[in-house]
Amino acid sequence: MGGCFSDVRGGKQAIGGRPTPAANDNGSAGRNDAVDFFYRSRGLSPLFTQLELSLSASNLFDRDITSKSDPMVVVFEKKRDGKLEEIGRTEVILNNLNPQWIDKVIVAYQFEIVQNLIFHVYDVDTRYHNIPVKMLNLKDQDFLGEGSCVLSEIVTKKNGSLTMKLQKRNNGHGGVKKLGTLTVHAEESVASRSAVEIVFHCSHLDSKELFSKSDPFLRISRIVESGGTVPICKTEVVDNNSNPIWKPVCLSMQQFGSKDNPLDIECFDFNSSGNHVLIGKLQKFVADLEKLYEEKSGANFTLPSSDHGHGKVLKGQLFVDQFCEKDQFSFLDYISSGFELNFMVAVDFTASNGSPQSPDSLHYINANYGYLNSYQKAIMEVGEVIQFYDSDRQFPAWGFGGRTMDGRISHCFNLNGGENGSEVEGVEGIMAAYTNALRNVSLAGPTLFGQVINRAAQIAGQSVSYNQKKYYVLLIVTDGVITDLQETKDALVRASDLPLSILVVGVGSADFTQMEILDADSGHRLESTTGRVATRDVVQFVPMREVHSGQINVVQALLEELPGQFLTYMRSRDIRPCTITTNTHAAAAAQM
Amino acid sequence: MALPISRAIEVTVLSGENLRMDRKPIKKNAYVIVRTDAENFRSTEMDTEGGSYPAWKEKLVLDLPGHARAMTVEVHCKTSLGDRVLGTAIVPVSDFMGGFVPESYLHFLSYRLRDKRGERNGIINISVRMKMSGGGYGCSSSCSPASEMKIGVPVGDSSFGGAVTGIPVWCAYPARHF
Repeated sequence: MGGCFSDVRGGKQAIGGRPTPAANDNGSAGRNDAVDFFYRSRGLSPLFTQLELSLSASNLFDRDITSKSDPMVVVFEKKRDGKLEEIGRTEVILNNLNPQWIDKVIVAYQFEIVQNLIFHVYDVDTRYHNIPVKMLNLKDQDFLGEGSCVLSEIVTKKNGSLTMKLQKRNNGHGGVKKLGTLTVHAEESVASRSAVEIVFHCSHLDSKELFSKSDPFLRISRIVESGGTVPICKTEVVDNNSNPIWKPVCLSMQQFGSKDNPLDIECFDFNSSGNHVLIGKLQKFVADLEKLYEEKSGANFTLPSSDHGHGKVLKGQLFVDQFCEKDQFSFLDYISSGFELNFMVAVDFTASNGSPQSPDSLHYINANYGYLNSYQKAIMEVGEVIQFYDSDRQFPAWGFGGRTMDGRISHCFNLNGGENGSEVEGVEGIMAAYTNALRNVSLAGPTLFGQVINRAAQIAGQSVSYNQKKYYVLLIVTDGVITDLQETKDALVRASDLPLSILVVGVGSADFTQMEILDADSGHRLESTTGRVATRDVVQFVPMREVHSGQINVVQALLEELPGQFLTYMRSRDIRPCTITTNTHAAAAAQM
Repeated sequence: MALPISRAIEVTVLSGENLRMDRKPIKKNAYVIVRTDAENFRSTEMDTEGGSYPAWKEKLVLDLPGHARAMTVEVHCKTSLGDRVLGTAIVPVSDFMGGFVPESYLHFLSYRLRDKRGERNGIINISVRMKMSGGGYGCSSSCSPASEMKIGVPVGDSSFGGAVTGIPVWCAYPARHF
């Protein structure tokens, strides 16, 4: 039968109440503080604000014959050339024609641009239910209808909500069938670092099933100013239990607003048909939940009755076993409290770049007309962004794969030609050392990253003993595919335990697919020859041609993963941004 | 330092990923034994909730004999048919000693597990820190040199509900919690 048990698992998972994994904090999901901060510091006030879209629908078309549709919404922005760019997806809700999705979609609201949003509603087939929604191929899903609007339409509505009729694809007006409506609610998303972690348990829940106990889960919604509720999270389902304990739920300030904002807490009996039966509900302020925790007392659920009475007070109670406030420090919290990124650069001197004298070489130097070759462009553009986070602007700079003055091929030589120090000052320093090195070093090969990475790891490792506030970023600019893949992997696996990230910028038109293996985005963790596995992703690969053809903005491309990698390192070790610096500032100010 | 360095290590067994038995994801009851040599080993409790992605977060304190070049991490699973070793990882001592970082550095390490036949089976995540005499940062206690020569006094950290390694306490610890 279709209702194979395992398919339901996806629907039983918790949504929205997990602490955000660090890697996603500044990921592509939307808000990126680091990018924002960079622009602001240059006097470009942020050109956009982040809006959070909550979606709900009613009377959706029923596709499934034996049950109801399992809807999911995909939000697109229609670009000027008519292309659709996906902005985000909601979760899939099981068997529901009037769903209220919990996962929010974040949109950057640009004041000066007309932003056309397109909403596609799909019925996700049960066999895909255990697959993360981002991986779903939309072509395999049944289409339930689409709606469109301009973002500013939603924003300018008084209650921030807009309801639209869903239509058939392409041209809707001819549609006879009623496809239901979609409501979009927009709110400005506030980045906030505080969050509370709560462990709930219940006792004496009524059974809503004939022969067994209920399969309860909690759904928590925020009551919005305009009335109505926005669901912010739900717990996982605990099977067959009238005294369930759920896994900790982490609610961010962003989700619940403030402690004086009422929350609706509803307890349901899970039903794979989607008809979850309400066991009871109650309304509490976050501050009340804290009180429940301190007093170790329970709050009774009530069951609203159809007539106007207050509803029936139930025996079932909600308890708070744990209530702790957590600070989810952001990348900027660290940077502004004195943490520093330290940059290191390594440039590819292998022969595959072409002789520097030849105009089609990637290393071709021509002082006229401000011509910059691919390496210079990469160093300039990337350097400009990264030196912003490095206050002393002293960059160790190396070359690899070149034959140095002494006639030997080196896979990690000082770019400035010096014997001892490899440091140069600022991006100008790197540029000067680079042009200089091209005169003194002849291009050779092969392309090996191992030594450069080990050298960088050594610097990062040594710094740990005297300073925990430094994080290192090695920028490798290269034209080609590495020949020491396994050695590089070994070096990267070792580096994953250090305060180090590696940014590989590919120049030229070589096939870089091999480089993508190093960038563990696809979920494969790097493995060394000894069987050790990278503890976190430390590599990001950006082909320069993508940046130049305007697909990605350089700042965005570079800062996409770095803050997340930085945070995973700091958080796993419980290193916190220090507030001491701000105190001394205050003290100094007081003395004046 | 004039004192002999007590080579006690603190191994926190964090979690496992994608553990399988006979190609199928395990359901529960996985536990881990960490060995530094034949006499020195410690075990975690069984995980009952995480399925094939168990989480232990249990701190084990072991003596690391001077001759040890590696320690082994064995992931076991208890089933109705008995105890099975799902996979083993060999952790070279050089992964958490030596190198460029200070000795008291907290290392986060992950390893591929392999079963008896050498087949890949999941990943184990641990953290390792050398316990230093004289109390490097994060050491939950410091103790008199007399007692540490031998065993390095494993101290069950109260925040870890798991195995509290009981060692007769005849030296008073300055209570230091963090």
